[in-house]
Amino acid sequence: MHLKGLMFDPYNNAYIVVLRDEDGHEMLPIWVGKAEAGAISMALENVAPPRPMTHDFMKSILDAYDAKVISVVITDLNENTYFAKIHLMYEDSEYTVDARPSDAIALALRSNAPVFAKESVLNKQSSEELEQWLENLKPEDFGKLDS
Amino acid sequence: MGQTNPSADQQLVEYAVDRVLDETNTDTKILVLARQDGRPDSFPIWIGAAEGHAIKLALDTTLTPRPMSHDLIKSVMEHLNVRVRRVVIGDVKNSTYYATVYLENNGVERTVDARPSDAISLALRTRAPLYVTEDVLARRNTANLESWLAKQIPKSSSNQQEVRES
Repeated sequence: MHLKGLMFDPYNNAYIVVLRDEDGHEMLPIWVGKAEAGAISMALENVAPPRPMTHDFMKSILDAYDAKVISVVITDLNENTYFAKIHLMYEDSEYTVDARPSDAIALALRSNAPVFAKESVLNKQSSEELEQWLENLKPEDFGKLDS
Repeated sequence: MGQTNPSADQQLVEYAVDRVLDETNTDTKILVLARQDGRPDSFPIWIGAAEGHAIKLALDTTLTPRPMSHDLIKSVMEHLNVRVRRVVIGDVKNSTYYATVYLENNGVERTVDARPSDAISLALRTRAPLYVTEDVLARRNTANLESWLAKQIPKSSSNQQEVRES
C-alpha cells in the first residue's frame, strides 16, 4: 500500500491516514490521533526536526544494533482497536512485533519499508464510505495538521 | 547515532520521575524529577503534551488496549534482547536538555541520543535508572523556578489523589 495522504476529520477530531493499493483500486482509511498523525506527517514531508522524535528514536535503537524493518502489515481494523505487525530482521532471524498501525507506518516510512494490508482488512472496509468522505472534503482539508 | 561518550569522571546523580504537571494555557507539560540521594531537589523539564501523556501512562501503570509508542519500543527491544542499562541527561544547550540511552545486548553496549521525554518514557517502562550529570545540574537555569513550583504543588497533589482513587 502507498500512503496517499493525511487529512483532518473534523467530526471525530482525529486524523485519517489514507492508504491506497498499487493500482489505486482499494483505499484504506486509518483513523489516528494527533501525535501519531504528526509523526507520520514529518516522515512524509521529510521534515528533519532539531531533536529526534519518538519514531526517530525507535529507528536509532534499531540502527544501533543493525536491526532492519522488512515490512509492515495492517492485519485488522476493528472499530476501536487497530492491529499491525512489524517484521524485523536481526542477526539473520526474523521477528514479528505487534503494533498500532500508526506506529508501524511511522516506523516504515523512516525505514523505507513497504506497508501491506491483509486482504481481509480491505474487504471489511467499505470504501464507498470513504469515497463519500473524500467527496465532501475540500482541498484545504488535505495535509493540514495544525488545525 | 549520538555517540556522545561521557568522560569517565563525569559525576552522575540519580533522579526519579516525581510527577507530570499541566502547564496552563499551553500545549506543554512539566516533567518533574526528584533527586534520589537524600538531597532535596526538583528538576523540571518542559515537554510536549503527547510526551507528557506517555510518561503519565507509565507512571500510573495504566494498561492501554493497544501498545503505545514507547510500549512498542520496549517490545521491539525485548524481541531483540536489548536492555536499557541507564538513561543519562548529559547536556543542555539553549534550554534544551539532551539525553543518552545506554543499551546493552550480549555484552555489546550502544548509546542512542534522545529527547529526555522519550528516554524517560522508556526508562520507566523498563525500570532503568535515570541520572543527571553534575555538569547539567550546575548549568541549568533555575531562575523563578522555586516560586513557580510552590505555586503548582497544591494543584498537582490533588491530581495525584484523583489518579490513586480511580
